[in-house]
Amino acid sequence: MQARPIRIADLVSPRIAAAHILDQDDEEAEAPVTENDQQPPADLPAPTPPWIRADGQAKATGQARYTADLAFPGLAHARLLLAGRAHARIVSLDTTRARSLPGVLAILTQDDVPEHRYGSFGYVLDRTLFARDVVRFEGEVVAAVAALTPEQAAAGVAAIEVEYEDLPPILDVEAALRPGSPLVHPAIDTYGHDPNLEPAGNLAGRSTIVKGDAAAAIAAAPIVVRERYVADMAHPVPIEPHAVTADWSGDRVTVFSSTQVPFAARSRTAEVLEIPEHRVRVVVSHLGGGFGGKCDFHFEGHVAALARAARRPVRLVLTRHEEFIAPDKVTHGMVVDVETGLDADGTILARKARILLDCGAYASDTPVLGQIAAMMIAGPYRIPAVDIEALSIYTNRTPSGSVRAPTGPQACWAVEQHHDVLAARVGLDPVAFRRLNLVHDGDEGPTRQRHEGDGAHQTLEAAVDRIQQGEPLGPGESIGIAAGWWFSAPGPSGAFVRIESDGSGRIVTGAQENGTGAVMALPILAAEELGMRPEDFAITYQDTDTGPYDGGSSGSQTTFNNGRAVIEAAREVKRQLLELAAVALEANVADLELRDGHAGVVGSPDRRVSIAELATTAHGGALLLARGSGMPPDAPEHDASACVGRLGFESFAAPTFFCHAVRIRLDPATGIVRTTKVITATDVGRVLNAPGALGQMTGGVVMALGNATLEGTVFGADGLQRNASLLDYKLLTTADAPEIEAIFIENPASNGGPRGSKGVGEPPIVPTAAAIANAITAATGVRVRRLPMTPERVWRAITTGDDGAAEANAPFGPSETALAELAGAGTGRR
Amino acid sequence: MPELLRMTVDGLPLSAFVDPGRTLLRVLRDDLGRTGTKEGCDDSECGACMVLVDGQPVNSCSYLALQAAGREITTVEGLAGADGLHPLQRAFLEGGGIQCGFCTPGMLISALALLQADPDPSEEFIRDGLAGNLCRCTGYQPIIQAVLHAAAEMRAGDGVPATGSSGGG
Repeated sequence: MQARPIRIADLVSPRIAAAHILDQDDEEAEAPVTENDQQPPADLPAPTPPWIRADGQAKATGQARYTADLAFPGLAHARLLLAGRAHARIVSLDTTRARSLPGVLAILTQDDVPEHRYGSFGYVLDRTLFARDVVRFEGEVVAAVAALTPEQAAAGVAAIEVEYEDLPPILDVEAALRPGSPLVHPAIDTYGHDPNLEPAGNLAGRSTIVKGDAAAAIAAAPIVVRERYVADMAHPVPIEPHAVTADWSGDRVTVFSSTQVPFAARSRTAEVLEIPEHRVRVVVSHLGGGFGGKCDFHFEGHVAALARAARRPVRLVLTRHEEFIAPDKVTHGMVVDVETGLDADGTILARKARILLDCGAYASDTPVLGQIAAMMIAGPYRIPAVDIEALSIYTNRTPSGSVRAPTGPQACWAVEQHHDVLAARVGLDPVAFRRLNLVHDGDEGPTRQRHEGDGAHQTLEAAVDRIQQGEPLGPGESIGIAAGWWFSAPGPSGAFVRIESDGSGRIVTGAQENGTGAVMALPILAAEELGMRPEDFAITYQDTDTGPYDGGSSGSQTTFNNGRAVIEAAREVKRQLLELAAVALEANVADLELRDGHAGVVGSPDRRVSIAELATTAHGGALLLARGSGMPPDAPEHDASACVGRLGFESFAAPTFFCHAVRIRLDPATGIVRTTKVITATDVGRVLNAPGALGQMTGGVVMALGNATLEGTVFGADGLQRNASLLDYKLLTTADAPEIEAIFIENPASNGGPRGSKGVGEPPIVPTAAAIANAITAATGVRVRRLPMTPERVWRAITTGDDGAAEANAPFGPSETALAELAGAGTGRR
Repeated sequence: MPELLRMTVDGLPLSAFVDPGRTLLRVLRDDLGRTGTKEGCDDSECGACMVLVDGQPVNSCSYLALQAAGREITTVEGLAGADGLHPLQRAFLEGGGIQCGFCTPGMLISALALLQADPDPSEEFIRDGLAGNLCRCTGYQPIIQAVLHAAAEMRAGDGVPATGSSGGG
């Protein structure tokens, strides 16, 4: 057994969190390292040195410029006219008076831009840049104003005269599916769409995961449990609101945007303006967090069009209220009906499920996220027969989309509670039930992919072992666990690596740094290949004019994909360096290695030449420059022949397995749940940068805790968000953050990223809410089947037995009268 | 009518003609080019705009600029001294307290204020002192630990003392 603990105490300061890494042959978790363990055991490798992110100093000193900080001579300011109503016909739209106001430079409506319908990934082409005739959610852009000052832009927006005829908002996903329901998109039959989808009525997409004959297996099962779980819409809430500045030079536009996906933003900007992509440059300055909310194309097209009309650079910065209602990326409201057939001993025989995803007014990327949700409801469990259907349903809400591990937290929260219910039904404890049913190495997944490694079991055992080492439970305290999986996202990605004339290095990449540190950690990979230090490299990044294509900071993919590209480029530079060194040292390339900034003959420490000297030589002739763009690893072999709505997630590539164990304290008189400890055990394939991986765990868990107990959007019957501000939509604060310990298990994936690694950014947010839900039941004996599990809902479940799921037939969100309780209660600020 | 505002920002006397309704945050960012201080909500909820006014932490998004007349303002840009980073900045950097960095300016200022109030703070005191600053990336623990770490370093005297309104160093 070879344990590889990461000494967080050495990396940072004591007790931030204990983390340790287990190799795949480990049988159990080592005790986490604490401040008291000053010396590593002699048989273990030295601690990883502190890793300081290259953008850190600029961020610590205020020098780091974010999009809204960028200065431009003659800058004008944009403001959007948003609909402010959920569903209405535009009877008239008159900008005459607004145009006459002082300082107003340009006003645009759909009449001023190409009549072009677009949609994320081409799933459903249901959108135009500005509203055409109808507004379908409160944040829909009706017009945009550019003016000399922000105040004049706001005055311009206020002076635009719009007459609306209100239409009844479509808010109930089940009613929206019924024949005869009013339609969000009456002309949907005329929209272009992905050939794997058949949008019709209020249905944007339908995906299924089917294996065997689940209906027959359930009919024959001795025990069948059927349940409903309902999750409310929530928000990514990056602290930096969306910001875009567009600046034209001749027929080219540079768009400075707070986007997580510069290349997708460029493509869509070019598309809606009907200009070639090479005339659009998208640059991300520093990005103030995204969490998926800044994926996709949002306002780049509006601002570029405004700047062209105003003939000067134009900046748009969303207000916090606009940030809640306008960007089409919120966490899905979801209804999960799940039915599982069990053998008498607790072995799962079959599962049927139907998932209703509220995709809001426009499809965005929800259709593919439905397919992911279906895979999540199957989970990393041995289930011989599966029949799961996910329906993406239009409503008049802000469009949903790819918020951190999209659909994962809600689906895991539903199915891992379901598993505890199943366990109780057959008299097994939650751990025993999972031991019986979680996948082992070689087992088959819901579409018959073969699982690699025992990560599902190792993470379960590690988390359970560690949480049980805590103090005995006191009054009101309880423990809950939840397991799950998430995919890695193989995709095309490119990078250049070059050596400058002084021997220092540079990585030029199209990848996007959203804050996780994934781009900042790329030098670790290049340095390993080239025998250099990470700090020897500079990084040029997130600029579509300089870096090769990358899919952006979505799907936990930066290290997975761009890391492979950087390694490939670095290996080519290594080949170039060794060829030069072979001449300089009069040696065979095969005998050379790169170490400590030098090329040298293996075993002969005196025969070496520095990379700096080689670089000087190189610029007299061949360049030390290479590109990398490794082919993405293949998806696992699988059989999806029975599935429909196939959009690329018929299998989960290099899946990350995990288990979270939580300890909570619950006050039954108020329903307030306080989470005091969270253990994360995660099979990440291979840890490449321990501080970076740990930062994803601590941050993901706290975001998940917010989603679990506080964060949910409250809607009025008019379809408008009632808590679209940070005053009413509470995030966790320092006062609430629990103790978090991270355990990493290493089972390198054969089709993984660098060194067999798997995605790490999204997994930590997936199972926490589920573990808390199970802890709530352990403490109270009742179940809360409504997310977020607010104090009101927990209290109601305890006092009346109402689990909250019946509210599913009403509009999402509790009554407005509950608003005050929601805002004032909870584990919020002290 | 705009009025002349004179104040000291990070040790430098500055002036601007300011409309009475204009906030300190707008004046710092738009009129004086001090964009280190961020705007996250314009609602005193996120803390990204936190600055010290005569040593007291305020959300500059909700503080009228003219109230700052004659006062000393400390922003994140005044923290590092000529001899290097403030111990808080170093601790944030080394301890994983910075990811996207957007909350960092306000978080550092709140941390500075709480250390001035109590140079030997308990973890509880730090948690309360930073509860007005939202961070969506780190999960807070690295930040809390970084403040503890910096406090210890500053007490040991091998760091730059927190000097408040005149900036570190």
